[in-house]
Amino acid sequence: MAGTDAARAYYALEMTRSFDAPPALVFKAWSSKEHLLRWWGPKDFTATSERLEFREGGSYRHTIHGPDGTSYGMSGVYREIVEPERIVFTFAWDDEPETLVTVTIRPEGNGTRLTFRQEPFADAASRDSHESGWGECLDRLVAEIVRQGEQA
Amino acid sequence: MDRLSQTLSALADPTRRAILSRLSRGETTVKDLAAPFRISLPAISRHLKVLEHAGLITRGQDAQWRPCRLEAAPLKGVADWVERYRAFWEGGFDRLDDYLTELQSKGDSDGRH
Repeated sequence: MAGTDAARAYYALEMTRSFDAPPALVFKAWSSKEHLLRWWGPKDFTATSERLEFREGGSYRHTIHGPDGTSYGMSGVYREIVEPERIVFTFAWDDEPETLVTVTIRPEGNGTRLTFRQEPFADAASRDSHESGWGECLDRLVAEIVRQGEQA
Repeated sequence: MDRLSQTLSALADPTRRAILSRLSRGETTVKDLAAPFRISLPAISRHLKVLEHAGLITRGQDAQWRPCRLEAAPLKGVADWVERYRAFWEGGFDRLDDYLTELQSKGDSDGRH
């Protein structure tokens, strides 16, 4: 994977945010319905949850409700939970392909830096392999192709 | 299967991604494509069929050579799809920021629960 970081943004969504709150509290905000539903979804949306099993192998199913009355369901499974610094889970809107989300929570000064990454292919074996002829990451491939498209 | 799912399914195989990577450097014959792999020509052909079916490559009409050419549009579709999530998360993180402020103003900043 070395040398591909600059290219990643082309197909994986990556964001970082700083919060003026301790890491333990930021982690807690992800860990139960009580907290998660207070912020889950875009501005002016509300959220409801059928299930939130915050443990490795546990699943969740939430619905967000837009101001125009439209609802969107989503679900997934928690793959890895390391309190208070890392949460990995699958995420799929209803009727859409599955993605993998990795949330990393680290202290930053008196607050917290949250790093977020979402990518297609929840299956690690599908994401990267060094067994094939060139061992290319999808990151690099898509970056190269998008770059070519921009030049054309 | 919709277009996006079909693209992702085709991309899920590392050999197929390697083939696309090679094609990103230019049109190539099947024989040249197969050279770096330890798999047979028929196996490469099967991968090419999947890629062709997914619209990720096109093949020339010359019956003998049938050079393969990368088609970038479906890959751009993958990048666009992932990008669509950005608004969902950015909106959520804005609200998370407000919620954390609210929690702390209540003195609940010690990470209980």
